[in-house]
Amino acid sequence: MSTPAVLRKKQASMPADQAMAQTGSGLVIGLTTVAIFIALGEIVPRSGLVSRVVMPTGGDVVTAFWRLVTGGYWLSHLRATMTAVGIAWVIGAVLGLFLGIAMGVSAFTRKVVNPYVIAFQALPKIVLAPLFIGWLGFGAPSKVAIAVVICFFPVWVDTMIGLSLPTEREYTFLRALRASRWQVFRMLQLPSALPLIMVGLKHAVLLAFTGVLVAEILAASAGGLGVLAESYAGQLLMPLTFAVILVVVFIAVSLVAILDRLEHRIVFWSEAGRARTSIAAIKKEGKGR
Amino acid sequence: MQEVTKAVLVEAHGVSKQFQSGTSKVVALENMDLEIREGELVALLGPSGCGKSTLLNIIGGLLTPSSGVVKVAGETLTGPRRDIGMMFQTPVMFPWRTTLENVLVPVDVFGWSRKDYRERALELLEMVDIQGFADSYPWQLSGGMQQRAALCRVLICDPKLLLLDEPFGALDEFTREAMDLELLSLWNRTAKTIAFVTHNINEAVFMSDRVAVMSSRPGRLVGMLDVPLPRPREIEIMRTREFADLAFTARAMLGNQ
Repeated sequence: MSTPAVLRKKQASMPADQAMAQTGSGLVIGLTTVAIFIALGEIVPRSGLVSRVVMPTGGDVVTAFWRLVTGGYWLSHLRATMTAVGIAWVIGAVLGLFLGIAMGVSAFTRKVVNPYVIAFQALPKIVLAPLFIGWLGFGAPSKVAIAVVICFFPVWVDTMIGLSLPTEREYTFLRALRASRWQVFRMLQLPSALPLIMVGLKHAVLLAFTGVLVAEILAASAGGLGVLAESYAGQLLMPLTFAVILVVVFIAVSLVAILDRLEHRIVFWSEAGRARTSIAAIKKEGKGR
Repeated sequence: MQEVTKAVLVEAHGVSKQFQSGTSKVVALENMDLEIREGELVALLGPSGCGKSTLLNIIGGLLTPSSGVVKVAGETLTGPRRDIGMMFQTPVMFPWRTTLENVLVPVDVFGWSRKDYRERALELLEMVDIQGFADSYPWQLSGGMQQRAALCRVLICDPKLLLLDEPFGALDEFTREAMDLELLSLWNRTAKTIAFVTHNINEAVFMSDRVAVMSSRPGRLVGMLDVPLPRPREIEIMRTREFADLAFTARAMLGNQ
C-alpha cells in the first residue's frame, strides 16, 4: 500500500537540537519559496506571457476567494460536499474495518480473498463511477457510493495487515497464559493493528474527499464544491475556480491535521517503541531453538 | 540445601520430539528422562540445538512431545497450565501498556480484578528495583529493566513452577550476573521451583542444585550433575576449588558426546 508522504508519521528519533535546527532552516526555506511563488503569481499573468483570464494573479484569487466566502451561496455546496465526504468516510471506515477484521483474524480467509484484493487494488476505482451513476442516478447516493468504493480500501488492507503484525513470540506468550482467541484479538492483535488502522483512516478521508469531488464534477447535479469549480471553470471564471480549489486545500489540510492530532492521542506508543521490540524479535528468531 | 525427601513436581519419562522440516525429520529430543523436585533450582545446560528449549517448552505445555509423558504435580500435561510461569529470552512487552499494566497482563487474561493485584505488582516492581518505572512504557526501559518487569509478570500469578528460557541471555554479562543474583535471592525468599535453560557452564553451576547436561543432534540427556555448593551463594564462590571442579566436570560431560 503506498502512502502519501503527508500521512506518514514524523520520525521521533531525531535528536532535539538537530530537529530544532532543521525546523529553523526549514521555516526560512518555506517562507522564501512561498514569497517567490506569490511574486511569480503576480508577475507572470501581468507580463502577458499567459492570458490573465486563464491564469489569474494571486491578488485576483484572493479577491475572488473573499467574494466566494462572503457570498453565502457557497455554504450549501460546502455542506453538500462535506456531508457526502463524512458519510462516505464513515461507511468506508466501517466496511474496511469489518472486512479487515474478518480477514485479519483468519489466515484461511486471507488466502482465499487475496487474489481479489490484489485485483481490486490495481483497479483505478474511478472507472466504476459510471456504474454507480447508472445504478443510483445523478444524486448524492451515487456520489457517496463512489467515494466509499475509493476510500474503504486502505482501511481494509491496513486493518488486515495490522492484525497480522504480532510475532510468533507474542502469540506464544499469550498462549502460555491460556488466553482465549478473543483475548488474543483484544489484547494483542487489535492494539498492534491500531497504528496502521489510523494511517488507513487518514488515507481514507482524503480519498473520500477525492471521490466526492470527482463524482460531483462527473455528474454535476446534487451540488457541491466540485460542481461549483466545474461551473466556474466552464464560464472561464478562473479566479473563482482557484478560490474553490483554495477552499478544498484548506479543508484537506485541516482534516489531516485533526486526524494527526487524534492519531498521536490514540496510538501514543511511537514507531520507535514498536521497532525496538521487533528488532529484539528478529535477533531471537535468528538463533532458533 | 534441598532435601531428597521433597515431592517430585515435574516428571518427564521417555520424552522425544521430532520436527518435520520439509521432507526430512529433525530429532530435537530423544528419550529424555527428567525429574524436578519441589523447591529445586535446576539448569538445563547444553550447546545450541540440544533441545533444551524444546524440553522446556514441552514442560510448559507449549509443545506436545512426539512420544513420552510429562507429569506436573502428578497430573499428565495436556497444555499450558496456569500454575506454570514461563519467561523467554527477550521479554514480550506490549508497547501500549505501561510497565505496571504489562505486569498485570496475566491478571487480565485470567479475568481477575486488577485492583486486587495492583498492590502486589507494585511490591514486585519494588523488589526488583524498578518501582520508579511503573508508569513508564516498555520502550523507555533498558533491556535489563524490561527483563525485570517480565520476571515480576511471571511472579504476579504466583506459579508453582518457573520455566525460564535463557532468561538473561540477551543481556550483557554484567547485567546478566546481577540478574542471576537477584533471581537467586528471589528464589531463596519464595521457595519456588525453577528450571532454566542456559548454555553458560558457570551460570548453570553457580545457580543450580542440579544441572541436566545435554548433548546435541539428537538432543539427549548426558547426565545429571549435583551441585552441593553451600547457599546462599555469592559471586566469590566461583573462585573456589569446588566450583572449578564442578564446572570442569560439566565441561567434560558436554565434551563427551
